Amino acid sequence: MTSTEQVGRLLALVPYLQAHPDADVVRTADTFGVTPRQLLADLNVLWYCGQGSLPGDLIEIDMDAATSDGRIRLTNADYLSRPLRFTADEVLSLVIALRAIRELAPIEVSTAVDSALHKLTGAAGVAASERVSLAVSAGQEGVRDLLARAIEIGVAVRLTYDGPTRAETSTPLVDPIRLSTRDGYAYLDAWSHERNAWRTYRLDRIARVALTQDAATEHGELPEFGSGWLDRRSDAAVIALDLDDTARWITEYYPVRSVSELPDGLRVELLVADPAWLRGLLLRLGSRVHSVSPPGAADGAAAAAAEALALYAHLSLVQ
Amino acid sequence: MSPRKSERIMNLTICLLMARRFLDKAHIRENVEGYAGMTDGNFERTFERDKDELRALGVPVETGSNSPLFPDDVGYRIRRQNFELPPVQFTAAETTVLGLAGRVWEQATLADHTVSALAKLRAAGIEVDSSRMAGIAPTMGAREPSFDLFWQATTSSRRIGFDYRGQPRTLEPWIMTYRHGAWYVLGLDVERNSQRMFKISRVEGTPSLIGKRGAFVVPTDLDLAALVRSLEPAAPDREAVLAIRGERAPELRRRGSAGESPDGLPLGFAAYRVPYTPHSDFVGEVAAQGPDVLVLSPPELRHQVIRRLQAWVAGNESGVLG
Repeated sequence: MTSTEQVGRLLALVPYLQAHPDADVVRTADTFGVTPRQLLADLNVLWYCGQGSLPGDLIEIDMDAATSDGRIRLTNADYLSRPLRFTADEVLSLVIALRAIRELAPIEVSTAVDSALHKLTGAAGVAASERVSLAVSAGQEGVRDLLARAIEIGVAVRLTYDGPTRAETSTPLVDPIRLSTRDGYAYLDAWSHERNAWRTYRLDRIARVALTQDAATEHGELPEFGSGWLDRRSDAAVIALDLDDTARWITEYYPVRSVSELPDGLRVELLVADPAWLRGLLLRLGSRVHSVSPPGAADGAAAAAAEALALYAHLSLVQ
Repeated sequence: MSPRKSERIMNLTICLLMARRFLDKAHIRENVEGYAGMTDGNFERTFERDKDELRALGVPVETGSNSPLFPDDVGYRIRRQNFELPPVQFTAAETTVLGLAGRVWEQATLADHTVSALAKLRAAGIEVDSSRMAGIAPTMGAREPSFDLFWQATTSSRRIGFDYRGQPRTLEPWIMTYRHGAWYVLGLDVERNSQRMFKISRVEGTPSLIGKRGAFVVPTDLDLAALVRSLEPAAPDREAVLAIRGERAPELRRRGSAGESPDGLPLGFAAYRVPYTPHSDFVGEVAAQGPDVLVLSPPELRHQVIRRLQAWVAGNESGVLG
């Protein structure tokens, strides 16, 4: 941590502590994103600051109360009663975060997002906010609104879902918990009644949502659905693919375990929980896949390709 | 981090903020706790660095003269109206979304910026509620190792140099955009003197910031929306007729419309007219469906799908199974 960062924080801490008399050390540290220990070090610096060097000129802090009761009392700093204005980076990071919320939010929330954005850019006068943009594939607004309502009132929903791997429409009954985004796509995180497990559903694949009368039940903490999520699924298998360089895009689209370079391409290791997903990927890539390990992992793709080619032959379409 | 240095810069800030007029260096040296005891040269260097640090934080340290007759007698001050966050009020619904905004960024530097922005709002007496709206949790990431440098270059209008596909580039970055989970930067490629888009994850090595901040201006006639749209898949300009088995391939069925099924389709298949563009991997999308989707027309598309599938047939020399 640099002095610049510390001074930036102190300039907000002084007005904060005046606006929050008897502030709690732990909560204040949390607000400023530092440890309680760092916060006490900050107070120790402030204790020597003021308009001059005489005792009456200095900012007064009850250090005993801070260290023993965890309470902060700061006085004699009327001249620093408002925080410093936002930096361009602060406004921009907040503006982008609000825009990310708007991509996902139901209608009544997006109204609040828009007015907050308006005030923020007004207060900061930042033209730079147009320099960064984003888009999230978040499906239909109507779907998001219904899901947000179901989450709020706590009822189960019946989805009409175009599954990516089963290549079939399913109608799972789920307890909806949260709308989230990962890697540019919006998801519903929910408890699946059929699977009796946590599942995520991409919003742009949800064709319909029907609210039920059944109250959603408690299923404990949501797991982290980050890129490591598959690691913790016991049914996931490690598959290694040797690929042509033109198939390198898959390392950017799917969570890969490892990538290594080969003379004529690359080798990737994938965690696969669903054989149908792997079959689709292999068929999609065709001859860009040089080899599959373990070899049996390609059996499904081979059988599906043979069946498809037989159908083309039957149709007399293979010329 | 040195507590003495932080103390000195805080005292300098307070001194300049309380000043009713420009304060000259001699006055500052005498009155700000922390400069006492320094040699002349040491004071000059330290004072310059302290001013730079304050300006980097966004503190408006002004330089000027109190007397129009002696414009060379410069001093320093901070005007309160330029220093303080202007008064702003938020409704309860707005503070709730601001609290949520504090949890969006997963990228460390930007997460820090939102934390300090929200701390400033709280310091201004705005109670940002970060505990509500648990049902909405958008996140923004930036796994690209050089994201930070591109962000800095873009927001401060500095040139940036980097390697891309084995070629050195110098870019005046105009905008950054996040699409399908990846960050892109668009700007003027200085050597090629033309506008270029780069995918930041494909940048090789560590880029370097070049020259000063504010070194260029973004062209005002730039249609940012159109440039960003160019990253989206091309609009479909062709139509395929596909035979789809039953309820399979829902995404393809929803994108298209029911067509007239020719005689001789296998049992359970129906024809759909589906728009597509050859610029996306439509061949791969169809091949991925295996025996559930067959191309009836156009013939060229059908051949491509068949070739893709043949890679998986044993005995095919160019195929995976040898």
